[in-house]
This record gives sequence, C-alpha cells and structure tokens, in this order.
Amino acid sequence: MIPDLLQIPLSDGSTYNELAADGMHLRPHWSPFIESLQGMGSEELARRWERAERRIRENGITYNIYGDPRGVNRPLAIDPLPLLISQEEWRTIETGIIQRAQLLSMILEDIYGERRLVRNGDLPAELLFANPAFLRPLAGVAVPKASYLHLLAVDLARSPDGRWWVLADRTQSPSGTGYALENRTIVSDILPDAFAASNVQRIASFFRAQRDALFGLAKSDNPRAVLLTPGPYNETYFEHSYLARYLGLTLVEGGDLTIRDRRVYLKTVQGLQPVDVILRRVDDGFCDPLELRGDSFLGVAGLVDAVAAGNVVVANALGSGVIESAAIMPFLPRLAAILLGESLSLPSVATWWCGQDYARDWVLEHLDHVVVKPAFPFRGMEPVFGAGLATKEKARIVEKMKARPYEYVAQEQVALSTAPVWDHGHVFPRSLVLRTFVINSGNGWVAMPGGLVRVSSVDGPVVSMQRGGRTKDAWVLCDTPPDPFSMLRPRSQTVQVQRTPTELPSRAADNLFWLGRYAERSECIARLLRCLMTRVRQARRGELSCLLRLHGCFESAHSTLPTGHEPTAHELEDELISLMSDTHRPDSLAANVGEVLRVGGALRERLSNDMSRLIVALSESAAIHDYMLFVEYTAALGGCLELLSAFSGLERENITRGPGWLFMSMGRRLERALYSVRQLRVIASGLDEETWPLLEYLLEVADSSMTYRARYFTTLQPVAVLDLLMSDETNPRSLAFQIAHLADLYGRFPRHSPADLEALERGLALLRGLDLRTIQFPLPGAATPAGGSGVAMLDRTLEEVGVLVLSWAENVSRAYFDHASTWPISVGLW
Amino acid sequence: MKYRIVHKSTYEYRSPVSFGNHVAWLQPRSYPHHVCMRHELEVAPKPAGLDRRVDFFGNTICIFTIDEPHDELEIVARSEVALDEIPSAWPEASPPWERVTEILRTARDPDILDAWQFVFESPRIQPGPEFGAYAAPSFRSGRPLTEAVVDLTARIHKEFHFDAKSTSVRTSADDVLAQRSGVCQDFAHIEVACLRSLGLAARYVSGYVRTSPPPGKPRLVGADASHAWVSVFCPGAGWLDIDPTHNMIPSQSHVTLAWGRDYGDLSPVRGVIVGGRDHELHVAVDMTPVEQEPTENDTKLPIANA
Repeated sequence: MIPDLLQIPLSDGSTYNELAADGMHLRPHWSPFIESLQGMGSEELARRWERAERRIRENGITYNIYGDPRGVNRPLAIDPLPLLISQEEWRTIETGIIQRAQLLSMILEDIYGERRLVRNGDLPAELLFANPAFLRPLAGVAVPKASYLHLLAVDLARSPDGRWWVLADRTQSPSGTGYALENRTIVSDILPDAFAASNVQRIASFFRAQRDALFGLAKSDNPRAVLLTPGPYNETYFEHSYLARYLGLTLVEGGDLTIRDRRVYLKTVQGLQPVDVILRRVDDGFCDPLELRGDSFLGVAGLVDAVAAGNVVVANALGSGVIESAAIMPFLPRLAAILLGESLSLPSVATWWCGQDYARDWVLEHLDHVVVKPAFPFRGMEPVFGAGLATKEKARIVEKMKARPYEYVAQEQVALSTAPVWDHGHVFPRSLVLRTFVINSGNGWVAMPGGLVRVSSVDGPVVSMQRGGRTKDAWVLCDTPPDPFSMLRPRSQTVQVQRTPTELPSRAADNLFWLGRYAERSECIARLLRCLMTRVRQARRGELSCLLRLHGCFESAHSTLPTGHEPTAHELEDELISLMSDTHRPDSLAANVGEVLRVGGALRERLSNDMSRLIVALSESAAIHDYMLFVEYTAALGGCLELLSAFSGLERENITRGPGWLFMSMGRRLERALYSVRQLRVIASGLDEETWPLLEYLLEVADSSMTYRARYFTTLQPVAVLDLLMSDETNPRSLAFQIAHLADLYGRFPRHSPADLEALERGLALLRGLDLRTIQFPLPGAATPAGGSGVAMLDRTLEEVGVLVLSWAENVSRAYFDHASTWPISVGLW
Repeated sequence: MKYRIVHKSTYEYRSPVSFGNHVAWLQPRSYPHHVCMRHELEVAPKPAGLDRRVDFFGNTICIFTIDEPHDELEIVARSEVALDEIPSAWPEASPPWERVTEILRTARDPDILDAWQFVFESPRIQPGPEFGAYAAPSFRSGRPLTEAVVDLTARIHKEFHFDAKSTSVRTSADDVLAQRSGVCQDFAHIEVACLRSLGLAARYVSGYVRTSPPPGKPRLVGADASHAWVSVFCPGAGWLDIDPTHNMIPSQSHVTLAWGRDYGDLSPVRGVIVGGRDHELHVAVDMTPVEQEPTENDTKLPIANA
C-alpha cells in the first residue's frame, strides 16, 4: 500500500504514473525508498527540507528567470523526492541516448564536412540553407571529431504505455549537468538512509569523463581549458561557475580572451596565457563578433579564425546548433540506417517538418492535434497549441505556414508521465521531462546515470524552467552497491606539492579589487551613518551644524538636503534614511551593498562558501522596509556593520595571499584612505566651539575612541586626534596606515610600476613629514592667533595625498584591467 | 580588357584604437573569363598578423590583427583583373519563371542544389509579401525568366532614386522599398529580395565599375566607391549578372570582387576594435584600363563616403 505520506490522487490511466501503475500498488523498484521515507515520517522530512532550502538560498544556487521581479539570483526550485529509474529500464535509455549521440555527431560531421547527406538527398537542403544556425564560416573547417558533440542533452518523456520518447536534443551548449550534480548533493544529504538503501548509481565519474575528454581535445601536453560564460545575467550562470570549479576550469567571459596570431589567449594579471580548449556556454552565433554575429558582446573576435587555424578547440564545436531543431527528427530513422546501419532504438516524438508537401498538408488538416513550433532558432516564436487557437489566430498561422512551410514543424502533444512532488507536507502528481546527458570521451560515449528531471509548476502539460517549474534528482538504481567515487584523485596517486598561485584573469582581478572597495565603502558609509543617526533625533541647534559638517564627508552629489536654508533636523533625518536605503543613489549604503552582491556573484567560483553566504546575508541585512521605525534603522545598521566586520575578518584570515587577495586588500585600503582623507579634512577646515564635538564623532567613526581615552583621558585636542587618525601607523584606521599598507601590497606585485609605487611612497612621506607640533589650532575661548597656523598647510597636504592615491588607483586599473571596462565594437558592418 | 583597381578605405577614429581584428573581402574573384592577375593588400599600421582563407561562397578573405595603438587605419587593395571579350552569358530564350522555381525546388543536380541556397532568407534580406507584390507586374504568368528579370531591373532603375544620403549600411530592404531611394547596395538588395520572394535564386554581387568613362560616355554613378549588383540563376545558362543601378547587363566595365547572400556576407571591410568610439570612413576607388597609364592627376583619388 502507498503510505499516507504519499497519498496522491488516483491516476485516471491517461498518463503513466511513475510511482504506482494504479495509484495504489507501488512499482517494485520504489519499495526500499518509500519504506525509508515511511520510517522517517512526514514531519521529519519537512524539517530536513526546510534546512535544505535554507542551504540552497545561502549557497546561492540560482536559476535566473528573465523578467522575474526578484531579478537575477532567484533560488533554484528543487523537489526533495527523486525520480527512481530501475537498472533494467536505464539500460534501455542509456543505449538509446548513446546511439542518438553517435548518430547526431556523425550528422554534424557531415554537415560541416562533405555535405554528402544533403547532396544525396538524405537530408533536405533547407535544413541547412534556410537555417540561421548553419554557420557557413565553419563549413569545411576541420575540428576534432569528439568536439562536435562533446556533450549532448536529450530530453525524454514517457508515454502512457510506458515507453520513453525523445522530445528534443540540445546539441550546442546544453545546460543541466551542474544542476543535476547540485540536486544530487542536496537530496542525498537530506535522505541519506533512503539513498543508501536504494543503491543509487553515482554520477561523479561522468564529470571525470567530461574533464578528461575536454583536456583530451587539446594538442599540447599541458593544456589550459576554460569555460566561456555569457556572464552573471545568464539564466544558468550559477551552473557555469559551479561546473568551472568542479571541473577545474577557469571561468571566463568573452572579454577575458583575446586573439594574437590566430591563437586564443586568456588575459591575466600575470600576462597573456594561451588557451587550448574552450567549453562554451555561449550560443553559436554569439561566439565571434567578427565572423558570426557582429552585434554580439559575448564572444571573442577572431575565434572562428583561430578554430580554422586549428589552434583552439571549442566544445561543442561552433555550429553544432544546426541540428538543435525538431525538423531533423523525421529523418533520423533513415539517417541511422545510412550512417550506423542500425534502427533508431529510442523513437522521437511524432514530428512533421512542413517543408515536405505531404507533411505540410497533413499538419494543416490536423492542426487541432499538434503543437506547431519554429523549425529554426531566432524566430522569436513560442510553440502554438493548435487545439487552443481561435479561428482568426488559426487562419493567421495557416497563412504563414503556407508561405514558408519549411520554417515550421509540428509535433504530437505527448501525455507526460507523472511523479510525486512534495509541497509543504502534501504530495501532488506533476508532469515530468527527464533530461539525460551523454559525453563523447574521444574513445567512447559516457551517459550520466540519471539526469535532471524537470516538473511542471502546475498540473499541466508544459514543463519549462523559464515558467517557474521545478527540478528533481533522478536515481538510477543498481542491484549491487555502487563504487563510491570522488572527483579527487585516488589516495594512492602521489601529488606534486605546489604553491604557485592559480592564474588570475584580469576581469576577476578587477572584480576582486572592486569587491574590496565596495565592502570597505559600505563599511565607511555605515560607520558615518551610525554616528549621525544615533544623534540626529536629539540634536540641539549647535549639534545639528556639527552633524551637517560630518554629513559633508559623503561629498554627495545626490543629497536631498535643501540648499536654500540651513537644513532642519527633520530634513537631515530624511536625508540619512535616503543615504541608507535609496538604491537609486550610488552613494547609499543599500546601493553599495548591492554592488558587493553583484560583484560577489560574478566572482562566485573564486569565493569560499562562507564568504558567499556572508554576502547573501549582508544584502538581506541592508534591505530596508518602508514601515520601519527610525530606531530600527540604527539596529539594522548595527547588524550590517557586524556582517561587514565578519567579511573583512574572512578576507584577512581565510584567503591565501595570492594575487587575488592582493587586489581585494588594495581595494579596501584605497577606499579607507579616501574616506579617511575626507574625514580628516573636516578637522583641517577649522573648528570652532560649536563644531568642537566633531573630534569626538570622528574618533567614534574611526573606532578609536577607546585608544584616545587611554592616551589622553578626556581632553579633546585636534592635534592629538590628528595624530591618532592620520599619522599613527600602528592604528589600522589611520590614513598613514592605509598608505603604508597600499605601498607594501602594491610593491609585492611582480608587474608593478616603480613610478606608481613611488607616488604612494611620496604620499606617505608627506604624512610623515607633517610635524603636528607646529600646527596651531585656534582653541575655543583662547586668544586666537590669526587664522591659526599650519592648518591650511595640513589641508593642502591631505588634498595632495588624496590626489596621489586616486591617480595611483587609475593607473593600476589601466595597467591591469583596462579591457574590462572597454567593450569591443564592430565597425564596417553593424 | 585589363583593369587596374586601387581601393582605399580609411577609418579615422575619434580616440585611439588599442587593438583591432579585421576581415576584408577585397580580393577580386577569378573564374572563367574573369581572372585576378595580381592582388596586394597594404595595411597601415602594419598588422601583427595577416592571413587568407576562402569563405563558404568561394571568396578569398583576408584576416588581420593590429595590436599597436592607432588613430587611423588605412587599407589599400591594389588589384589587376583581366576580362575576356566574350558574348553575353544571357541566353536568347529562357524557361518561364514559374518553371525555374519548380526546377529549383525539385532538381538535385549539384549546380541547382548550390543555387537553391540563394532562394531563402538571409540575415539582411527577409522579404515580406510587399516584395512579391512589387515584382508581380514584371512576372506575369508564363513569362520567360530573363525577360521578366530585365523588366524588373528596368523598373527598379526607373522607380528608385539614387541618393547617397537617404540610407546607411544599416538601412533595411523594407525601408528602401518604402522610400524608393538608396544607393547601389540598396537596389541590389531590393532586386534580390523581389526575386527570392518569388522562389527564384538570387545572389548579391560586390565589385567595381569603371571610373573613367570611355571617351564620349558619361561617368557612371557609384564609380567612386565599391559597387554592387545582382546575379540570378537560370537553369541551363547558369548565373546571369544584372545591374539595377545602371539598368545594364555587366560585361566589360564591371569587375567582380565577391558574391554571397547579401551585403553582410561580403562587406568590403569589417572589424571589431577596442577603443575608437566614433569613426569616420572614407572610401576611394579608382578603376582604370591598364593600357592607359595613370597620369599625375589620377593618383589624387576622389574621396567619397561609401
């Protein structure tokens, strides 16, 4: 009997029920799993699942949905209940998808080689000539055969009679392997007993095969392979960074690569490094703005030529998208006979390509029973369900299909099988599609046992991640316990000890530099804000002018304060709230924390899990709600500051001192130096009795009140404050400390410019050369020496130090990551 | 007939370009009775690398990289092409145009299969029904293909106004059809779009027309820049060139650079640059019969925007 836990509505028999044929009696291979779940109980599953969902959120496992109000970084929706596939059944699937991969690979080889299939009439010429995905610049270009379909994804559905059918092939840069891996990690973690009891086949060896296959594509002995991503805004960016880390590839964007002498190079802070293999997640046409789509910002100009010269291998090969079309399906049985001498073992779902007269006529007559799809990509057409069409719409599509029939395919609508989906303690049947994966190892094909299951969001036939569906793990069961396997090399294998830092792409260096800057800028803003916010409510008139001077440290071009009259406490209060929460202001705390999240997201594969989690928590802590009371703002600020401190702690204690850390630390020192200059110049612009308390505020902002009191008791003197906050190189918040450390960090760089290092040292010398004893501050109540003495000089020195540091930063940016801010542009054609 | 052609393209950039990759379709094709005797490409600044490949349509392309900062890029292609004086390839009689579409659709001989690819949409030519409607008066039922094409060409020549300012390389064929004005590239696109929307195979051809007219003849429009015309496939006769800008069948005054589906397949120079921001392009073309050595004045090339 099905346990209560999985009490699900009875199937009406029109679809295949994965769990139980009649909705009552379990299919045998599910038994150990269900027994294990029963033993655990519904409440315990709910508790564990809650923990897993938190982990998904914290680990930033995302699937970005275009147009989602939550924007990028939407958590991936995972279902805890896996789909179970018996060993015997899997053998059938595995044989079928491997045969399909072999066949599709041979078709690609022919299309970009001799084109014999088209010449002989076995493949309609329209499938190439009318297809924008047929990349003419790649025709006749010889590439390693194993690169055509390095990775293939085949989407499968099960019909009511229990047979599996192919819905679609993903031939150019299939997504899903990383999500499958992450699903496996999470689900096996919350269901360890069920996992053990079910003898699940491991998937790690699939990734080892992929890594070996990738490196095997290279000609050189010590090859460099990279994963080319469109960038953090892509829907599956999480997967790109996850896979890059797991497979040991450098994650790069188009701008990280350049062509020299028909070779591809990675731009790193250590210089140009040759690239041998590119695993791409950028679509075919976008890979080279020079010879493919001129409007692409995602590719590498000259890549096609480098491929043609045989100097780099792209996987999957450029142009492999040409068969990512349902239009080819009707021809596969015949092509299997011609190319493999076999019959197709996994059938495709019934498909009609309207370029054939009889197929077009049949489809027009049976429009109510089919789904009409574009035969070729880039047409911006959604699938049309014939049955749901109004007369007028139907007439329009019929007219289009008659005008250019070869641009349309029609497919039978499949009644998808259903599997149980867990939702807040209840279980519902949902339609599913199983995405399977095959790797071309170069000397054989390897299928991932299982794959990625996608289920519909509501009870209905359309399964789409973009429409908010969920994913599931797929467990292929064995009769015997499987070999445990890990991506780490076996213990018996000796490892060469090495300490060479991994190469740092210039874009990553740029991002790390800015991560340090934004984190420190957030902290500086938060410290200033806290000092202001705790006082603004009770501020008397005199105090208010002090606070306004301190507010001047923001040097805000976006201030909401009135300019016509002296702002009131209330107006300052509104300004502070705006500075804290207005994400449209580039100088606000919220905006800068947002930048930490954005830059951190782009660096995901380089940051530890702890750090990534902290960044997510930080962005949550800075989220301000309209309804908050004023006192709650200061509490939120406190929380935010704690997280920022934790962040800088991780930065200091948990990162190896490679070039990445150098850039991040330099970013932090730079930003703190800039804020320090602004704050010290408040003192250097002169103090009177009313603004004397500023000294106390600045000590508080610099977290140096305790040190000051220990040294000077309570006497507040500008010179003493200046010494502590400006000159004292033992104080980690003093200006001199920042400059000294900047010079030290920068000097450790192998490719540093002596002139720029000298600029920093000059700044430091300026600070050291200031003799504070000679500066006479006009003290309140005391007889004033006219204008004080040395104060103007102090201000000039601070200004000069600020200018030196900023110009140093500009030079560093230009030297190490100039390209990152410069988009290539196409000329001549677009 | 032998021509010497100097085709100079100059890009002036507003800010320095630090790095640039370029592809050029500037080497004249060779085929029976039309032979490129000599071709050289001079690029300044000197490219770090320069390589040649043959593209899908058989055109020779030249790919080069410049990795030193520059404000100006100058590309000079010097070619010599020999043309045999032969009778026109245009046949006396041709099949009805509907028959031609039928042959293209069904026959699978290698030359027809090759022509078949020029029936479909291409990135810059995606003709809507209005192109078929425009072509219809010329393509009366049963009319021989060549006669219909000559008639269509004459109509485009008459009904479209040559205006270098009315379009740019980005202007779509739809806009050109609506505004009835453009330059030689636009007229070629219009005619190709019309022919394809009827199911006929049509190529876009780029090349040059003679700059200095024979004595007593007027100077041809578009002679100062690279030119474009059309080629239509006629089973049995092969590809037949026709020039809608001049309403003429090219013979001894046209030199072919390259052909493809549309301008995008063979734009004379294209590139991807880092830096530069805005740029201005100056193109100058000089095509003179070789027997007549260029005088001092002739070397001062006229400057025109393409």
